[in-house]
Amino acid sequence: MRNKEWTIESQHDLFNLRLKEILNYKHLLFQLVKRDIVALYKQTILGPIWFFIQPLLTTAVFTFVFGKLVKVSTDGLPQPLFYLAGIINWNYFSECLNKTSAVFKDNTQIFGKVYFPRIIVPISISISMLSRFAIQLLVFLICIIVYHSQGAQFHITSTIFIFPLMVALMAALGLGLGIIISALTVKYKDLYFLIGFGLQLLMYTTTVIYPLSAAPENLKWLIQMNPMTTVIELFRYSFLGKGDFTIGSLVYSVTTTVSILFLGLVAFNKVEKTFIDTI
Amino acid sequence: MGNIVIRVENISKVYQLGQIGSRSISRDFESWRARISGKSNPHSRINETGCRIPDSGLFWALKDIHFEIEKGERVAIIGSNGAGKSTLLKILSRITAPTNGKITGKGRIASLLEIGTGFHPELTGAENIFLNGAMLGMRRSEVRGKFNEIVGFAEIEKHIQTPVKRYSSGMYMRLAFSVAAHLESEIVIMDEVLAVGDKTFQQKCIGKMQQISKEEGKTILMVSHNSNDTEHLFSKKILLTNGQILH
Repeated sequence: MRNKEWTIESQHDLFNLRLKEILNYKHLLFQLVKRDIVALYKQTILGPIWFFIQPLLTTAVFTFVFGKLVKVSTDGLPQPLFYLAGIINWNYFSECLNKTSAVFKDNTQIFGKVYFPRIIVPISISISMLSRFAIQLLVFLICIIVYHSQGAQFHITSTIFIFPLMVALMAALGLGLGIIISALTVKYKDLYFLIGFGLQLLMYTTTVIYPLSAAPENLKWLIQMNPMTTVIELFRYSFLGKGDFTIGSLVYSVTTTVSILFLGLVAFNKVEKTFIDTI
Repeated sequence: MGNIVIRVENISKVYQLGQIGSRSISRDFESWRARISGKSNPHSRINETGCRIPDSGLFWALKDIHFEIEKGERVAIIGSNGAGKSTLLKILSRITAPTNGKITGKGRIASLLEIGTGFHPELTGAENIFLNGAMLGMRRSEVRGKFNEIVGFAEIEKHIQTPVKRYSSGMYMRLAFSVAAHLESEIVIMDEVLAVGDKTFQQKCIGKMQQISKEEGKTILMVSHNSNDTEHLFSKKILLTNGQILH
């Protein structure tokens, strides 16, 4: 970057996302990720144990309420495994969205003093959240082994090879929606309140606590509108052998996610230039 | 571009006076509903169209600024309060965008705006040095090469493993100055940094800036109050009055 030429202009091409600039700052990205991960573990005495407890407790409550009391179908799968699969994926997506949406608010101090492409921060968040997802995935895999050794009926299928695509989809969707909201919160602070309960409501519109196969035929499309539905169904199909998706729904999921991410980048780019004057 | 490291062309920056927007959807919605039904706006600070503001509500912090700075120059930016000094440095540091105009430049910029730089309060001094280096695009190993020099200059060897939120303002400022002066950059921008710190340290800073400019060929832009101490440091002056340059 030595002696590199730069330009600062008032007018800026809306669709010039300057993604190449991110590469110049890969060391910063790496350090931010490392900082987040270390902070995550140092934070509390119990440290990463919280990341075991949270999905396990949620699974226990879901199993009791939706499994035993309401008796929602789980496609014939062991109930705890079914819920856990949905919960860990939903957790990763919603944590990414939640944290990236507050990016301007949380970093005003640094953004007001130093320049670097602001998008580095939301990207670092989605990467460092992966460490948390990895721990929860490990919990899930342990549960799979335990249930399997007790003779529960399920099987791993070959779509497991596109597991990286599922993770990429969740990360991109969380990031995309998160930065759209972050750009909006610069103008409207009351959106912060919406995110908390909005995410909770959104969880019920996707297949975390029920399988898509249990939905009435004429309402399926509504549930599939949420790109997370196909990701969760695909995940369950890969690891447990039961899930409802088609090539069409996967294509829909990918295109929607990419469009949302693109829209987010455009909005973020526009806002990052002058947000400091108004926040 | 030859020897010119910064070329500023017709830069203007306008701020809106008073409240900007309503900051809340519910209020904006009420205003919108009032407008639709022909009533007067209950939050009338905002005008009818929501974005167009009458000219009287604008404040031109900078108006049609242009100048050029050559490599290795030490530029003092002088002006009274509200003249637009900080706004100019903020635009040059890319913290905020100008309303009009264009700036072209060459090389990395290390800036020290108002008090403190981009330090993270929870991180230790050492961690902040590395993070700041990364913000300039430096590798960890490159920062490590400068680390002892930075800490030594700031005179905070004992406190380098303490989170910066526990630093005194003097320590904070010394470290911030040291980081900006030592990290690899071609241009150094400083806003009234010498206001904090004792006389001895001020002298040390002035000496350091002369050194990095003469020996390393760095270009320096600094807000100055034209005191006798700093008089001899600069090779060029930019005098700002009400957002405009006086030549």
